[in-house]
Amino acid sequence: MAMRIPLQIATAIIVLGGISGMVLPEYHLRLLNLSLISAVAVIGLNFAFGYAGLISLGHAAFVGMGGYGLAILTTTCGWSPWLAAPVAIAATAISAGLIGYPLLRLRGHYLALATLGLNVSFYIVTSNWIAMTGGTNGIARIPGLTLGSFSFSGEHQFLWLALMVLALIAAAAAALHKSRLGREMIAVRDDEIASEMTGIDTTRIKIAAFVLSAICAAVAGCLFALHMRFVAPEDFTYAHSITYLAMLIVGGEGTIVGAVLGAVLLTFLPEWLRFLGTAYLFFFGLLVLGILVFLPTGLVGLGQRLSRRSAKTPLLASARAPEATS
Amino acid sequence: MNALEARGIHKRYGGLAALADVDLTVKNGQFVAVIGPNGAGKSTLLNVLTGLAMPDEGQVLLAGQAITRMATNKRIRAGLGRTFQHGRVFARLSVLENVMTGAAIRGRLSESDLRDFSMEIIEQMGLADVAHEAIMSLSYGRRRMVELSRALACRPHVLLLDEPAAGLNSGEVDQLIDRLAELRAVHGLAVVLIEHNMGMVMRLAERIFVLNFGCKIAEGTPAEIQADPAVLSAYLGEGYAHAVV
Repeated sequence: MAMRIPLQIATAIIVLGGISGMVLPEYHLRLLNLSLISAVAVIGLNFAFGYAGLISLGHAAFVGMGGYGLAILTTTCGWSPWLAAPVAIAATAISAGLIGYPLLRLRGHYLALATLGLNVSFYIVTSNWIAMTGGTNGIARIPGLTLGSFSFSGEHQFLWLALMVLALIAAAAAALHKSRLGREMIAVRDDEIASEMTGIDTTRIKIAAFVLSAICAAVAGCLFALHMRFVAPEDFTYAHSITYLAMLIVGGEGTIVGAVLGAVLLTFLPEWLRFLGTAYLFFFGLLVLGILVFLPTGLVGLGQRLSRRSAKTPLLASARAPEATS
Repeated sequence: MNALEARGIHKRYGGLAALADVDLTVKNGQFVAVIGPNGAGKSTLLNVLTGLAMPDEGQVLLAGQAITRMATNKRIRAGLGRTFQHGRVFARLSVLENVMTGAAIRGRLSESDLRDFSMEIIEQMGLADVAHEAIMSLSYGRRRMVELSRALACRPHVLLLDEPAAGLNSGEVDQLIDRLAELRAVHGLAVVLIEHNMGMVMRLAERIFVLNFGCKIAEGTPAEIQADPAVLSAYLGEGYAHAVV
């Protein structure tokens, strides 16, 4: 029973992603892969922002730490991506814990500004530490992921890797939502003082949410490096952090489905608005603003509202009555 | 041994002395009330006892152990529980989940044990019919009962209640009085009650402390307090003694 929802989410991701993979052309498949990578990062942001209420504008820095970690370990040290990825993710998690301990004493706008500063610092370091990161030229020739003779290099092949990782992360996040830690994170967001008064160590919970968030970001960073086979500071700027936040808010913060929906929609939207030329940013901004104003609970909230309304429709209600009694 | 003790508590906010040399002693299983006019320092005293405010001077002891500088969550784990004046519940969690967050602080219980234990408390508090409901769908009075249930789920030895009857109708107040009396009898809890509802205070409290302008002006049994001229003058009003008689 407890695993029903996580399994449903994981199955839905694999089935829908698999079907899309069969019908989409190569270029759109590439966009789909990028959206799935973003979805992993946004599910991570959901731990920090959606569950624990920590406004992070530095999420892209953790995506970058994962991506750069894998890139450096595979190119400079010659490690296999299978070994480099877990080490890069673990290193990012430790960094997040060390950064989070002093940072999470801040609240609201102060925390947002501090995390923004973290992202700017990451950009400056990766742009200027040329010996380690290649500076603004980035790191190229990252080896692709292989499993025996099977390579995940092509868009179709990578899609299955991205879908499996996303399904796993989404299922784990959904399971956590109903766990003790998930309840404590939500409690801390709802009322920090009442949480303390319920015996919850709010600092520990906030650090846990921040670290979990960074782990997902690092996984997304590793996927990004393996997909693009190249990382550069421009891929992990604060603008990316804001985009991740927009994806979560548009989809519906606090929900896994919302995180995935938001990531897919905001990755494809610029493509759908391409006919507008450079004016697309204006309409893109307007759309995001409209969702923020008219759908504060995001697309998931809209879906819930519509399903509640349809349940109240007499025609539908009478059609459902026999089912309910049978 | 006393369940809870505050010795010589001083707390200032700028030039204002919110508490000045306040002592409070609560014996095991005793029901104590703290009364006084608005701004007397009652909630500040609870904040000092629970660690939400640090005293400038003085000491707080829980079962003889000094907890003056202890973090709030550790005090709760050590056996203190509290509800708030305006009822603080976790709005995005259901009634059951709210209570489960409290129950979870004691040891490593499995999810099913947590659920069972929380349901027991929910049933005791008369909330079984709304256990799976969203908090915001409940009336104000029932939300406050959820908050009380959550505090009880932490299994406190001393429970601090900050105006639990505020905003409740007379029927709900009567229910609350019965529940508190029952809980105390069943669990042997020591209770510190802050309340303006004198009917409730006089029915439940064994000992009453009266604060005014941050100072303790009286301490005694309900009968002693009702006859105390300083209390009548500062808070209850001269007419109160005649009305009771």
